[in-house]
Amino acid sequence: MNTHPASVEFQAVSFRYPTGGAVLSNVSLRVEPGEFLGILGPNGGGKTTLLKIMLGLLGGYTGNVLVGGVSPKVARTKGLIGYVPQRNAAELSFPVSATQVVEMGAMRHTPPWSRGGSALQSRVQECLRLVGASSYATRPIGALSGGQVQRLLIARALAPNPSILVLDEPTVGIDAAGQQQFAELLSNLHRELKLTILLVSHDVRTLAGASSRCDRIACLRRTLHFHAAPHGLTPQVIAEVFQHDLASVFGDVHVDAHPASECCTHDHERHHPNPASRTNGTSGGGS
Amino acid sequence: MKTIEYLTGPNAELFRPAIVAGIAIALQASLLSVPVVLRRLAFIGQGVSHAAFGGVGLAVILGLMGTGAGGAQNAGALALIAAFCIATAIGIAWLSGKGGAREDTVIGIFLVGAMALGAILLHLHRRIGAAGGPTPPVEDLLFGSIFAVTPGDAQIAAWLTGAIALALWWFRRPLLFWSFDEPAAEAFGVPTARMKLLLLVLLAVSIVASMKLAGVILATALLVLPGATALNISRRLGVVLALSITIGLIGMLGGLVLSFETDLPPGPAVVGVLCAIYALAWPASRMARATQRTESLSEVAQSSLSRGAG
Repeated sequence: MNTHPASVEFQAVSFRYPTGGAVLSNVSLRVEPGEFLGILGPNGGGKTTLLKIMLGLLGGYTGNVLVGGVSPKVARTKGLIGYVPQRNAAELSFPVSATQVVEMGAMRHTPPWSRGGSALQSRVQECLRLVGASSYATRPIGALSGGQVQRLLIARALAPNPSILVLDEPTVGIDAAGQQQFAELLSNLHRELKLTILLVSHDVRTLAGASSRCDRIACLRRTLHFHAAPHGLTPQVIAEVFQHDLASVFGDVHVDAHPASECCTHDHERHHPNPASRTNGTSGGGS
Repeated sequence: MKTIEYLTGPNAELFRPAIVAGIAIALQASLLSVPVVLRRLAFIGQGVSHAAFGGVGLAVILGLMGTGAGGAQNAGALALIAAFCIATAIGIAWLSGKGGAREDTVIGIFLVGAMALGAILLHLHRRIGAAGGPTPPVEDLLFGSIFAVTPGDAQIAAWLTGAIALALWWFRRPLLFWSFDEPAAEAFGVPTARMKLLLLVLLAVSIVASMKLAGVILATALLVLPGATALNISRRLGVVLALSITIGLIGMLGGLVLSFETDLPPGPAVVGVLCAIYALAWPASRMARATQRTESLSEVAQSSLSRGAG
């Protein structure tokens, strides 16, 4: 079993921008096929850089990176990674229908003279169905809610039939109910399609929502720290890694001594009225 | 009506090229205006069209564009100006991309720099009376002129329309993906840098094609107004493209008629009509948006109702 290539493998990867300090420092990571990994990190912690390297968009790093056993650039041309970008990067006033958004992913290599054929069309419909977007397939994206657009972007990522799904800050601007549905959708895709899933976020609530499904949590701040997450994302785990930056990660979420996975099931506890508990968290780990 | 008189009278040959070129330019620019507006390239277009003035100065001082210039020289002048515009477009894209400068700053600098160069060269040409006959009037260069458009210009504009339409069709999928969501398109393997370059080159080419008729300053109007108006009215890509072409053609032909009737220069007349259409379509756009909002609200209501029932 150990001979199969990992879905994503980073071996001692470091990266620095020419004008700045180290963004990634000696990052090693091995994601097994079918694993669900959450990566949590503060803004500026190197998440975007990590993703760009993984997607084959950024060179100039030291160390070794393999995606499905090949270099990230080859993986990109093979369509091994389905990428779900931050939703706010897309232009929502754009004159395209939901179906056209998914077609972008499905037909990106279709020659110009071809209309795509029925196989591609049925692939598009299949992806819309997988994310539960069939009912609004013909609507313009400007008329959709944040959660609906999010589903479309996932459908577009699934269209090239990838084995790895990478999501970058997927829940920004989505309300609590939407986040819950989103976590369920990911969980279903993970189970049904046997996908490897990497979810990257600065927002502990995103991972809290998904962490009951994650096999492991990694925390990224220049270096990676891994934590098995049998009980979800515990405050102790987070506090260890974000000693200096807890406030920005937690926002208005309280940190006290219970697992974060519980936190999302008790919605009334979400905005804790007691500021003392927040201070407790930021000062060193709710211990 | 003067228009009919001009187009059927003994001097019709002088007016017809402007009509043919006008239709060709309206078609190509209306098509391009949709990605230009969506990709927010309106200001870069302004920079490129003003840069054309620098190219015009070069063409004039080289004797390619004076009133005495022939057909071959005219084609040479257009090629020179096109090269100048494309170089400007690439320069702006490069400096603001890899060069790390702010795009609006770079455009501002290129715009005035090229205008200054053109003004200096035209001034020199007038003073030393160089090759190619008398210096063309600056007002014609800036705001366009019916009579500056030769049959050769009209022919070139028609060919360029075909080339631009073909390029847009050929690259429609990567162009659409790139316009919609650049970072994701890149991650999906779309050559985004090449798409931007392609659109900038097409933009520069179209500006050169419309320069004589609309003038350097107003050439970009057609590359912004039809698409902007159409996008205000609809959110369906096919409808937007059809509307944009229709609006472009109405603006161009209406503007030319206005120019014939009132002796206005064609550039300002066309731009005036296009601006009027934009303003008239404003209430329609508010209505379209309101309808869209109601639709999505009613859908949310329905889905929450069905959830409540289940």
